[in-house]
Amino acid sequence: MLGPLNLKINREVLVMIGPAGSGKTTLLNLIAGMTRPDGGSVILDGSDITELPLESRRIGYVFQSPNLFPHLNVYDNIIFGVANRDRQNKSDYVKKLLDEMGLSHLSNRGVQGLSGGEMQKVSIARMLVVEPRIILLDEPLVHLDPSIRRKLRLELRRILKRQDIPAIYVTHYEDDVYALADSVAVLHNGRIENAGRLEEILSSNSSPFISEIMEESNYIEGIVVESKNGIAVIRVGLHLLKTLGEYSLKSRVGILIRPEEILLSKDAIKTSARNVIKVKVAGIREIANMADVQLRADSLYLRCRITSEARAELSLMENDQIYAIFKATSPQVVREES
Amino acid sequence: MKQKDMSSEVSSTKKTRAFGIVFLLLSGALVVYIAYPIANIVTLLEPRTFMESITRPQIGGTFLLSVGTATISSLLLAAFGIPFAYCMARYNFPGKFLLRVIIIIPLVIPPLASGTLLLGVFGPYTPIGRSLPVEFTQSAIGVIIAQTYVSSPFMILLALAAFESVDESYEKVSRILGKGRLETFLRVSLPLAKRGIMAGFIMTWVRSLGELGATMMMAYNPHTVSIQIFEDNAVGGIQNTLPVILLVILLSALVLGIFSTVKKEGLKLGW
Repeated sequence: MLGPLNLKINREVLVMIGPAGSGKTTLLNLIAGMTRPDGGSVILDGSDITELPLESRRIGYVFQSPNLFPHLNVYDNIIFGVANRDRQNKSDYVKKLLDEMGLSHLSNRGVQGLSGGEMQKVSIARMLVVEPRIILLDEPLVHLDPSIRRKLRLELRRILKRQDIPAIYVTHYEDDVYALADSVAVLHNGRIENAGRLEEILSSNSSPFISEIMEESNYIEGIVVESKNGIAVIRVGLHLLKTLGEYSLKSRVGILIRPEEILLSKDAIKTSARNVIKVKVAGIREIANMADVQLRADSLYLRCRITSEARAELSLMENDQIYAIFKATSPQVVREES
Repeated sequence: MKQKDMSSEVSSTKKTRAFGIVFLLLSGALVVYIAYPIANIVTLLEPRTFMESITRPQIGGTFLLSVGTATISSLLLAAFGIPFAYCMARYNFPGKFLLRVIIIIPLVIPPLASGTLLLGVFGPYTPIGRSLPVEFTQSAIGVIIAQTYVSSPFMILLALAAFESVDESYEKVSRILGKGRLETFLRVSLPLAKRGIMAGFIMTWVRSLGELGATMMMAYNPHTVSIQIFEDNAVGGIQNTLPVILLVILLSALVLGIFSTVKKEGLKLGW
């Protein structure tokens, strides 16, 4: 059961988040034309497409499984949607797209030997080549290995933004929101609980459901000021964070830090951890045997999770001055914009 | 401990050997059962009768008729049967179950019965038979009618199985990319179902070639190979039939050779 609901999207990446069964895939199917709504309409670029068949909507759709045509090679898969008479004209565009997505060396290969990540890239390229008016993505990374998932997700935002078309990305992973979203919509029990720009959603807690799924990680934005020997230094406000990886200098990055990876210490001890930040305890919330500790240092806000026992041992109270410590392996760069 | 492991090793080797022996015996028995009657022909042949029978003037025409009608029947069944199989594979409609039953009937009832039923529709005293200038029951058309009827389940069921094994997701993707239903059928469904459809075509052709019962009722003349063998037997017993039977076997071997060469070359070309 889906709806009633109202959804509006501009030329941006909208990440729709919701648990399994909330109707995310159904919504995409309605937009694409694979199912008919019982009521209401789908309007694209100002025209009502509710009665249009699948093939006339010019909508891209990337599935969880790549569904590459087994009887065609990579190039023929990608160019499948292009009419025969346009193939000559489009060949430069296709070549450029292949280069941008790092697929050129696979052009003549059969699809059977490709890795999961490569296959999904081909399936995305196949949809982008026909220059759709909007692209729908149904958890396309869900079946990939975690490290490939992270790499491809980083590339994906770049690819989507370069296309400059609206994109709806459906997922049940909170991390995907931070990595990809311009806007967020939360789908729950077939209704849109909350929708808005990423910044708005992050700062508001208007729905208990959002708190359940959106408050797991710390999301911070910063600028890369140094990157060498496999370690990047990122400036967040007045603070410098160290993380693993190589990134272009001066690019804006979005970082996730898990609350349970932050250690708290009364003293600035010397450990293998590369990040030590002097913070003030802004608030503490006890839930079961755990304590959610809100930390603040100038414009930097961090949430940290420790056991109630640890909290008691440290005699942690609001307004205490302590040190937040975490390793360079903790901050995950999920978004990169030059 | 060691003794126990050893005995379980020995018993599993025994089991493997027992498996091999049983399967070999079963397979061997079946192969002998099929091959022996064929090999036996050598012992039954008489060279003089053989030459007389082989050099009859009508033999060439008989084979040409059988091969020609089998080919036409198979092409007709492909033209009509493939789209039908696709619809059965993809769409649901009231009465679909009944249709599935009807499709199998030509396979279940004796070919002689099929022939009788066809006679009731196309025979010389029926409305159709009376209104047309050609008498089906005395022409190659009658042969084709009989062959298509009894071979239809092969084409339909094998093409149906082939389409059912094609993931609908591919067709969905094709349509999302802007291809209509027909183009999707031609560019995605058909190529992916190719193997099964080819198997259906071959089985249909072979069945049509060997068809007798329905052909006897529908079109005794002109003689197909099967009817020629039937007549030869009626006139001169098994000795009389052997030459044509041998020719049929040679023809089958030739056809099989052609099909597998086509398949091999096709694979090389990337079909």
